[in-house]
Amino acid sequence: MRQEEGLWHRLDLVARSISPFFVTMLLVLLSLVPLRIADLSPIVPALALIGVFFWSVHRPDLMPIWAVFLIGLVQDILTGSVIGPGIVGLLVAHALVVWQHRFFLAASFAVIWCAFMLVAAAALAVTWLLNCIAILTYVEPSPLFFQYLVTLAFYPCLAWAFLRGQRLFQR
Amino acid sequence: MNKPTGSEIRVASPLKAWASRFALLLLVGAAFGLMLIGRTNTFIVEETRTAVTDMVTPILDVVSQPVDTFSGVLDQAEAFTRLSAENQSLKEQNARLLQWQAVAHRLEAENAALRNLNNMVPDPAMRYITTRVVGDPGGAFVRTVLINAGERNGVEKGQAAITGEGLAGRVAEVGQRSARILLLTDINSRVPVIVGSARDRAVMAGDNSNAPELLYLGPTAKVKVGDRVTTSGHGGVFPPGLPIGVVSAVGEKGIRVKPFVDWAHMEVLRIVDYEMTGILDFEAQVGAARAAAAAGNEQ
Repeated sequence: MRQEEGLWHRLDLVARSISPFFVTMLLVLLSLVPLRIADLSPIVPALALIGVFFWSVHRPDLMPIWAVFLIGLVQDILTGSVIGPGIVGLLVAHALVVWQHRFFLAASFAVIWCAFMLVAAAALAVTWLLNCIAILTYVEPSPLFFQYLVTLAFYPCLAWAFLRGQRLFQR
Repeated sequence: MNKPTGSEIRVASPLKAWASRFALLLLVGAAFGLMLIGRTNTFIVEETRTAVTDMVTPILDVVSQPVDTFSGVLDQAEAFTRLSAENQSLKEQNARLLQWQAVAHRLEAENAALRNLNNMVPDPAMRYITTRVVGDPGGAFVRTVLINAGERNGVEKGQAAITGEGLAGRVAEVGQRSARILLLTDINSRVPVIVGSARDRAVMAGDNSNAPELLYLGPTAKVKVGDRVTTSGHGGVFPPGLPIGVVSAVGEKGIRVKPFVDWAHMEVLRIVDYEMTGILDFEAQVGAARAAAAAGNEQ
């Protein structure tokens, strides 16, 4: 009986520790669902970026760098774009957060959101640049800019949901 | 877990920082490596992509269905609000189309008679595979969609994907139960077309915007806004005469085409199986020839 409890406890711990990774993978899948709304498709929010940023800030121990790499890899494979630029974009976002992790320790939600503006801009810019280099063509950046704005607008909604989820888990 | 003591932290953090920096460099390097592999060895990348897509498609298939239902309900509600106006315009359109039907019947008969007179080689027969669009990656870099039919349904690389309105794209990658359609608007899309009643040849090239550009028009070609653009059938990839769109702008930014396809409501695609070996088989043919040559050398 005691042992069984220990097993359940351990399973619970494992589930908690891999949930950020799985939730972010789920976001990658979710961003593939066709929404059938006119002109939305080019500017769908970069959901994986939100997931990677959020957990790199709040639970960096549960969002290790190899997980970020895997998420980027699956995202690039599934979107059908060149494999690589998206991975580097997410790695850049992760690295920026880890580099400034002291800053995020005491930051309020609004400050984190502002930081996300900068980090997302850097990540998307790197992705865009590498994409242009990879296909040796200038890709019109204006849809990317709108995608950036939509991603910024989506951040509070998702972050709120993540925080609620986290609290539910911790209870 | 034991809390690390102060001295452990002092030793561990530079080591940890070094390790994490190393990991970052390693993984960024790996990403660049993947980019290079993608450029040099497209076969491996494609195999991986189709395998992963095959795994994900059943999930997307399930998830996209409620979205389809919801959007269908919204469309229906929208349609209800303008029922009588639509009815009126449909009646007018029907009257007009009946006239066209008569014209088409006459032309069809005439066409058949003329073909018969000239002993013209008939076009290969067409077969359709109807599939649902289950995935739309979106974003700024690609214009592709995923469909829930693959090799086992008879989908092959290079086939045309059409909606009721016109050509939407072509099959770019095929897995067992899924395939990726490269839309006309994608930056990698090139379609040989015929423009207007003068039947000028051109290539329609996508650039990720909603209006692809016409390239390589002859110097004598006079293209004006409103000219119809259809597939030419050159290269044997697409059947000739599939409607694509109309010329929407002629000017500084090049000659632009507005496709007939309603991208937002593209829920079902028909894959045209046009029984013809096109240029896209070229790689396979070269591969087979090389394999045969290698086998010959071994003997």
